[in-house]
Amino acid sequence: MDSPPSLVCRELRLRGFRNYPELDVAFPPVGAAIIGPNGSGKTNLVEALYYLEIFRSFRGAADEQLCRFGDDVFHVRGRFEDPLSGRSLEVTAAYDKRRREKRVTVDGVVPDRLGGALGRVGMVVFSPSDVGLVSGSPSERRRFLDIVLSLNVPGYLAAVQRFRQTLKQRNALLREGAPAGVLEAWTIGLVEASAQIMAARARWVSDHAGLFAACYERVGHEAPARLEYRCSVPAAASPGTDVAEALTAELERVAQREREQGITLRGPHRDDLGLAREGPDGWLDLRDFGSGGQQRTAAVALRLVEAATVREARSTSPMILLDDIFAELDPGRSERLLELIEETPGQVILTAPKPSDLEVRRGALTRWRISSGKIVAAA
Amino acid sequence: MGVIDELTAEFARLPGVGRKTAARLTFFLLKRSPDEARRLARAIDAVADRVRHCSRCGNLTETDPCGLCEDPRRDRSVICVVEEAADVLAIERTGQYRGMYHVLAGRLSPLEGVGPEDLNIDSLLRRLVGSTGGKEVQELIIATNPSVEGEATALYLQKLVRPRGVRVTRLARGLPVGGDLEYADGVTIAEALSGRREL
Ligand SMILES: Nc1ncnc2c1ncn2[C@@H]1O[C@H](COP(=O)(O)OP(=O)(O)OP(=O)(O)O)[C@@H](O)[C@H]1O
Ligand SMILES: [Mg+2]
Ligand SMILES: [Zn+2]
Repeated sequence: MDSPPSLVCRELRLRGFRNYPELDVAFPPVGAAIIGPNGSGKTNLVEALYYLEIFRSFRGAADEQLCRFGDDVFHVRGRFEDPLSGRSLEVTAAYDKRRREKRVTVDGVVPDRLGGALGRVGMVVFSPSDVGLVSGSPSERRRFLDIVLSLNVPGYLAAVQRFRQTLKQRNALLREGAPAGVLEAWTIGLVEASAQIMAARARWVSDHAGLFAACYERVGHEAPARLEYRCSVPAAASPGTDVAEALTAELERVAQREREQGITLRGPHRDDLGLAREGPDGWLDLRDFGSGGQQRTAAVALRLVEAATVREARSTSPMILLDDIFAELDPGRSERLLELIEETPGQVILTAPKPSDLEVRRGALTRWRISSGKIVAAA
Repeated sequence: MGVIDELTAEFARLPGVGRKTAARLTFFLLKRSPDEARRLARAIDAVADRVRHCSRCGNLTETDPCGLCEDPRRDRSVICVVEEAADVLAIERTGQYRGMYHVLAGRLSPLEGVGPEDLNIDSLLRRLVGSTGGKEVQELIIATNPSVEGEATALYLQKLVRPRGVRVTRLARGLPVGGDLEYADGVTIAEALSGRREL
């Protein structure tokens, strides 16, 4: 089988990022295992790498927080390479908190818009906080959908940006009780952007529900699980329906209530993903009835589906960043997840608080020790 | 505050001019001959004195109605509706458009408190009725910016005007989304004009 091209990180340079005053590391193409105690900077390193993918913190931290205490500016620079073709890519990001200014370059060129520079490398982060995708509020699942689809579906990000701006404007109108004729002009734009977003979400879920179930089953070794799109306009969730028409009808139906409450009541901002596992008497929502381990397994399955999405959409194997995830899974699940990761190409960067017996890339990962923001020596 | 600081502060109020650039402009002027500085002052004075809005189309002008509205060679059956007077200049630069203009002086933006009553919409509707009561105007080209606000303004106008039997078109989507017409290059605007679509 031909392995798809994939970019791997060869060099990472940090200045003033979180607890790193200065860091210069050269990664081997297969990746590295970074071992260090709590608070040593493992997650910060993963955060810095993934910053070069979406130019935001994967933990949702504000850019100011990423500046090292006492510093006003941080710099992140990564050099990436495709080991097969030799193609290389350099991505840099810098943030100045006094000016609130972000500067990004791709191969030395400042992109016209940030949106055009997103997802140049292809990376997926697995982190203990992913459990929030399952146990947390719908907004966490929408954020997941928006990031995955923005990176992998052309036009999605632009539609989200149009949607958000239109939503703010339309809500302002609803609050001030504007006449129907004025409201309508905004509803049309809202529906147009919403329909694009909802159709992409519906398609992604229907294309990947099977894979999600398979990943959950493979890692969890238990009853099947289900991924479904809980669209705020139920009729729009099934592929093939005219989403714009369904949403328009639904907005007309709730028009009175929208005016009373002064907010837009239907749309992508009210969507959710449903995650459930099969119980003795039917489907059980994992958010309410999943054990900690089951919720983590479902979160891992979502990340595996995300990695598959990158492979399909961008024909490249993403870098896999595993931030201390095995501590939270039982040994069986950890091993089966590792097996799955072994089956797919792509650089693996793994962190853990202590060395473990888990063999990643058949033990080929270089082990580094990390301590208070310094990568000191092979462990 | 001394006069040097005063001038610098005035420059700093201009769009895109920070404090540093403002100081540079001030010292640049001080280094040139006093005549040169006075020429600039007179030009600013004249603009403030003589330029006003055309009572027909809302464009900036020294004469009322403006030269564009008075020009007998222009095609009165088409009106191009733009957000700002600067957009008129941008379209005129292409040399591809021979119709009339109407400047809205803004676009709908509820968040900023801008509603239909804050734009030059009444004067636009009056022009559609026509001075002779006939239907002089046959087409309205809505050339608001391709932003969320510009699109909503276009849709609002279309709903308003459509019942009057006037054809309403929108500039083609060749323009960068979120970009301002004012800053688009001539070729792009010309293409957008020729590829305009029915709203
Ligand atoms: N802006 C910042 N400037 C300096 N230090 C910071 C900044 N933000 C976080 N830190 C420090 O970084 C450390 C946390 O690093 P990180 O989250 O990477 O730890 P970790 O190695 O992942 O630990 P754990 O094993 O507990 O997850 C903390 O000591 C914290 O005080
Ligand atoms: Mg951590
Ligand atoms: Zn005029």
